[in-house]
Amino acid sequence: MRTYETIFIIHPEVAGDAYTEIVDKYKGILSELGANMLAVEEWGTRKMAYIVQKQERGTYILLAYEGKPDGIRELERRFRIDDKVIKFMTIQLEGDYKPSSFVRKVEETEVTAPAKEEASTEKPAEKAPAAEEAPAKEEAAAEATEEAPAVEEAPVKEEVAAEAPSEEESA
Amino acid sequence: MAFQPRRRFHRRKGCRFCIDKNEIDYKEVRGLRYFISERGKIVPRRISGNCAEHQRKVTEAIKRARNIALLPFTASHSLDR
Repeated sequence: MRTYETIFIIHPEVAGDAYTEIVDKYKGILSELGANMLAVEEWGTRKMAYIVQKQERGTYILLAYEGKPDGIRELERRFRIDDKVIKFMTIQLEGDYKPSSFVRKVEETEVTAPAKEEASTEKPAEKAPAAEEAPAKEEAAAEATEEAPAVEEAPVKEEVAAEAPSEEESA
Repeated sequence: MAFQPRRRFHRRKGCRFCIDKNEIDYKEVRGLRYFISERGKIVPRRISGNCAEHQRKVTEAIKRARNIALLPFTASHSLDR
């Protein structure tokens, strides 16, 4: 048994019950295949770095488990059949599973989300959109902060590039 | 104006991963962004200053992140539109 982690992206329009159903389905498939689940990380819907199957966003889910290569082959076969899954990747972990920084984000949203849901309990129809909006806003904020340092870095890099040749000359 | 001291870029000597003991993980895109150019290319070792071992790990991590759409293969096309 080796430790693996599989990230898969499901269609962004799949939400609510259909979403939990898919997550449970693949968890079920893994345990069926004799894998020992270590962790499930739900990263929520986020913007992808490029367009995949005409989608700009995707819902990321990470599964960490101990399993056998045959099991992974079967899991990936089923991913290919399922058209709700738009991308997947399995990595064999070198060390033990460590939670990623996305987990912390998810916990934060879970803390804030119930408060919003309580407010809208009288209108169950509005629940889903409210939940969808919350992560989207956070993402936008996260992207803004991510892009800011990139702009700052740019001139720095250029300077390094400019310096590099002179160093070579002196050497 | 010529007397204004030119702000020289302070180049960190040596490999930042060897010093800080940070781990390289393809899921931590924030840390990896430092090692890709604006076009999405991997920054070479002579510029990033990484040691061979860590440059290899950074490269691997960036390629993995690209595969799962956490990092772009190229600069976004949306800018051209």
